[in-house]
Amino acid sequence: MSVLSLRLAGPLQAWGASARFIRRTTESAPTKSGVIGMLAAAQGLQRGDDAGLAPLSALRFGVRIDQPGTRIRDFQTAHHAVTGKSMPLSERFYLADAVFVAALEGDHTLLTTLHTALRAPVYPPYLGRRSCPPSLPVELGVHPGISLDQALRNEPWQASAWHQKRHRDRPTVTLVILREATSAERDGQEDVLRDQPLSFAAEHRRHALRTVLSTTVNVPNPLARPARPPGHTVPHHDPLDGLEEETA
Amino acid sequence: MYLTRFRVNTGRPGARRLLSSPQSLHAAAMSSFPGLLPTTTDGPRVLWRLDHNARAEVFLYIVSPERPDLTHLVEQAGWPTAALDPDTPGWQTRPYAPFLERLTKGGTWAFRLTANPVHYIRRKDGEPTKRTAHRTPVHQKAWLLDRQERSGFRIVEKSDENRLLPSGTTHKGHRHHGDRHELTVREPRSLAFSKSDEAGPKRHRVTVVTATFDGRLEVTDPEALRHTLTQGLGKAKAYGCGLMTLAPLPTTTE
Repeated sequence: MSVLSLRLAGPLQAWGASARFIRRTTESAPTKSGVIGMLAAAQGLQRGDDAGLAPLSALRFGVRIDQPGTRIRDFQTAHHAVTGKSMPLSERFYLADAVFVAALEGDHTLLTTLHTALRAPVYPPYLGRRSCPPSLPVELGVHPGISLDQALRNEPWQASAWHQKRHRDRPTVTLVILREATSAERDGQEDVLRDQPLSFAAEHRRHALRTVLSTTVNVPNPLARPARPPGHTVPHHDPLDGLEEETA
Repeated sequence: MYLTRFRVNTGRPGARRLLSSPQSLHAAAMSSFPGLLPTTTDGPRVLWRLDHNARAEVFLYIVSPERPDLTHLVEQAGWPTAALDPDTPGWQTRPYAPFLERLTKGGTWAFRLTANPVHYIRRKDGEPTKRTAHRTPVHQKAWLLDRQERSGFRIVEKSDENRLLPSGTTHKGHRHHGDRHELTVREPRSLAFSKSDEAGPKRHRVTVVTATFDGRLEVTDPEALRHTLTQGLGKAKAYGCGLMTLAPLPTTTE
């Protein structure tokens, strides 16, 4: 088993799992359908190619929240470019300034192909919505012979320098990992999310439920600085030490 | 001679007014002598210094020929209720003369000095010289080292293993006094305030650059050192500069 790691960083991201109609919400972490869709687009798969999609959606998926970002709301009043008629009023939610590490576990050959495709994509990658380009190269590399959990634990902290500096008082930071549970770990208490892609066909997209297991990991902070030692730096000096007490 | 220590209660508005104005603090120090009228121009030499050891630990030291009475300072910037107890009047005064008499040639002491290191420069030919402050620690150290012989002491040189530079010189062999001596400079302060002249209503700006020196010295001339300790070193003695104090060296415990 190998793992392909991705860094998802950009000014805006939007990862909808249950968004419908005019209110387009976002989850707080990338969805499997969003990331698999990005990989399929990089490979040049067409929307209706369910057979080509099947090996991709069979990969085990996990994500680590390196920098949570902030949720922002966009109230959109667009007009049709040609007719000038107003489009439906819509609310769109985004994650601003977020950084995630996503990882996919599966067959080494397939992951290497995907890694190569990301370096020369047929359709350019985007972070959940077409208007959200990544700010840094997406691919981090293929790690052979390790598990999904290990890959997400080993990856160094990918947050922006300003975010790491903001946590400079902490030598390690605790990051949340959301990954698919293995069959041994399943006990019926996990969260489920409807983001397991079955078909990206334009006329009818279909998603299945996916179990999500939440754990945490402690990652070293490269920009941590030790606090100044307590106590003042003024040298001790008491001139009255050298003088005798007055005899009454 | 007397040496007096007064701890300033930095939380009080009166203390802040005094700490923010060297003129007010000088006036307060001078008015603590019962036998001295405020208008006396040729009074005894009174030296004072503020030691900012921590945010809430500020000491005022006064060296004076007469015994001071700091009741007015306790009322404005001290702990007046605690001072009701006769054992803790709010300040400590000890006779300085016995200590000064005990100074002998070759004795070593830790010292602290807050001074106004200045030199006189002429920027172009024919211009009168102008008093100018030394602003960098290297020049401020050189200023003190230049005065040590005639002030009656010598600043102790560091032992070789304590130096950062081998033999205290730069890699080109120049003498570098940044690392030769047991001497540190800290708390560079620039005091700027306006002062009205006795002669007229015109006010002018006064700027005083001060630096605090800490280090170890060896007495070379006890008589000259006594003069330094009681008459001050350098300029701006009215603004808390020039008072050097000695303290016993810490006993090294093995």
